[in-house]
Amino acid sequence: MNKLPVALTRHDANKIARYTKRRKQFSAAFYALCVAIALLSVAILVVLLMSIGIEGQSRLSTDLLTRSHSELQPQRSGMWPAIVGSLLVCGTCGLLALPLGIGTAIFLEEFKPRNRWLLRLRSFVQLNVSNLAGVPSIVYGLLGLTMFVYMFNLFGQIQVNQSSGWELMGAKHLYQVLTLEPDHAVFIPQTNRNQNQITIDRPLDGLDQDWNPIAIDVWAPGTPQPKDPEVRRRTVAAGTTGGTVTDKAWYYFRLPLDRSFLAGGLTLGLVILPIIIIASQEALRSVPSSLREASLGLGATNWQTVRDVTFPAAVPGIMTGAILAMGRAIGEAAPILMVLGATISKESGPRHLMDNAVTMPVLIFNWAGRQQQEFKQLSAAAIIVLLVTLLILNSVAILIRHKIQQSQP
Amino acid sequence: MKTTHRMTASRLIRSLVICSLLVAGCDQPTAPNPVAPSVSNLKGSIKINGSSTSLLISNAVREAFLQRFPDVTVTVNGAGTGNGFDEFQSKQIDIADASRPIRPTELEKCKTHGVEFLELPVAYDGLTIVVHPQNDWVDALTVPQLKQLFVAEQAAKKWSDVDPRWPDQAIDLYAPGTGSGSYDYFREVVVGDSGQLLRRDMNLNEDDNVLVQGVAGNKYSIGFFGVAYYEESKQSLKAVKIVNPSDGVAYLPTADAIISGRYAPFSRPLFIYVSVASLRRVEVAAFVNFYLENVSWLCEKVAYVRLPQELLQRSIGNYHAKQTGTHYINSAGEVRSGALADVFLPTNLGQ
Repeated sequence: MNKLPVALTRHDANKIARYTKRRKQFSAAFYALCVAIALLSVAILVVLLMSIGIEGQSRLSTDLLTRSHSELQPQRSGMWPAIVGSLLVCGTCGLLALPLGIGTAIFLEEFKPRNRWLLRLRSFVQLNVSNLAGVPSIVYGLLGLTMFVYMFNLFGQIQVNQSSGWELMGAKHLYQVLTLEPDHAVFIPQTNRNQNQITIDRPLDGLDQDWNPIAIDVWAPGTPQPKDPEVRRRTVAAGTTGGTVTDKAWYYFRLPLDRSFLAGGLTLGLVILPIIIIASQEALRSVPSSLREASLGLGATNWQTVRDVTFPAAVPGIMTGAILAMGRAIGEAAPILMVLGATISKESGPRHLMDNAVTMPVLIFNWAGRQQQEFKQLSAAAIIVLLVTLLILNSVAILIRHKIQQSQP
Repeated sequence: MKTTHRMTASRLIRSLVICSLLVAGCDQPTAPNPVAPSVSNLKGSIKINGSSTSLLISNAVREAFLQRFPDVTVTVNGAGTGNGFDEFQSKQIDIADASRPIRPTELEKCKTHGVEFLELPVAYDGLTIVVHPQNDWVDALTVPQLKQLFVAEQAAKKWSDVDPRWPDQAIDLYAPGTGSGSYDYFREVVVGDSGQLLRRDMNLNEDDNVLVQGVAGNKYSIGFFGVAYYEESKQSLKAVKIVNPSDGVAYLPTADAIISGRYAPFSRPLFIYVSVASLRRVEVAAFVNFYLENVSWLCEKVAYVRLPQELLQRSIGNYHAKQTGTHYINSAGEVRSGALADVFLPTNLGQ
């Protein structure tokens, strides 16, 4: 009645041996296939790295690391401003995304609400986070443009010669007036912000380029000009007009953010926020619930449990997610092109909070599209620098993670 | 004695330093006649956006400018001529780079927002029509033939459709993207005011490198882009001679032919549009001054063609006279067309 498998009812030793052999062969073949696939992906990576290395090795020089992009001397172009720019943009991005992301994950995992409305809020957030993780980064670029660059025009538009938005700190407004010495200017503090032009017709007190007070003399056309360069440098021809300049301290801050590296960093922060949330959630979920329950059972509050038990246990996992996310952020070009524009010629990294920045991916994108052989090699060399930077950042993060893991009992 | 010795030694060192500077200066971008070698203390910032074709020139000028004015911040973006004018009329930038003259709609917007500007031609760009180097049947093309190749209503599918002696093979077309000044310029020259469109089945790309590779990769392809890009990829492409409609002779896009206007109708002037309100600022005036003084040798460094001396002088004259407005649109709102030398006349301003 009951049907046993053939192998159990009929003991055909030969057949069993053959069958076993076939099974083992199949297993070996599958193993070989797995190895081949693994080797293939590694081989592609090696070929990629080799071709980049061969193309770019001739440009790996101190010029590359210390100089800036040059249209006139492609052979001496460098990427120093882009390295600084990328690091600052990524720093801003991390400052936004890490606290927000980890906080959201803790809310979603550790504070499961019983209240009906909070429960709905939680599932709403959860749904959105999962959806946002799949949104292409160019869309975040558009979002960043309206949200950070223009700030929905809530604080007015930034217009040349007219308005510079809401300047909160670090701005010094001056008139710049040319003196008798060619290309040399003196500065006069601006008192009325609505008057953006000044005409010099009488001697007055001003400042030199280092903000030391000087007395500005007036030379009346028709009279002999002063000869001494020192005097000429603080003498202005009567009737000379000058426009305004803004001297920006490093902490210069205004709203809207305009095309500043802060706007770029915040936009990248939005790009990686869902990744960090999901990775942190996974890490918190993998903390054994026995730990959590034991803590709660001892009378600890939810906050104490998170602070002393679950969060420390989840830190290594959270950090792994953060490393992956930051790696993505440093390599993103599309949202940065959207927010900061395609500007690549800049002599230094950002000089103040509202300054524009060049980033490595945008520079590589531009160089790779050039016709000149020099720029093609430079783009390969820049890719190597980008990879090495990423490697250094990752190893530092891994070291920190290792330290944290060791310090835990 | 000792002091004299030291004097001569220091003099020797100084002259050595100067010599080495001169030797190093051979490949350094120094102006032909540096008037003021001293570094200026001017401060401030200048914002420029516009044509990706002019971007190279503006970047080069910026770089040379910063050697003398290191404290001035100059930001050059190359989002395209149309986008540049868009930011120009909304007062987001001081200078708009343009690879075509301003359009009536853009002029209208500038007027409504109260943006007055100077129109200053700075250099020439030639559009090069290129084919595969092994293409042995095309040597010169006429504008009507280009119409057959590129205009949607005629759209020759095969080379033999244009000329029965040519091979019976499908044509592969490459062109810059629709947002670029090059595309607009080509359309204007080939189609004129008839309102016809260029065909849609072309390979469009903003990246000129992709166009170069596309044309170089297929024997039966044809494409066009700025002359600077052709100069840099001469070995993999063949430029087609264009028959000048006025004298019937075919010319290659050489610098001579472009300057003299014989390479017609595919040489175009590049402009900068400077906001008059911004010129009140000393640093902007210094930059524009520097631009006009140095653009001739700088534009050749990035493979464009300099303006003839006479035209450049007209541009400088327009700058010093502060004659606002465009030469290309008359008071009735009609567009003037023709060679730069015929249109860029003071009498054409605001009339």
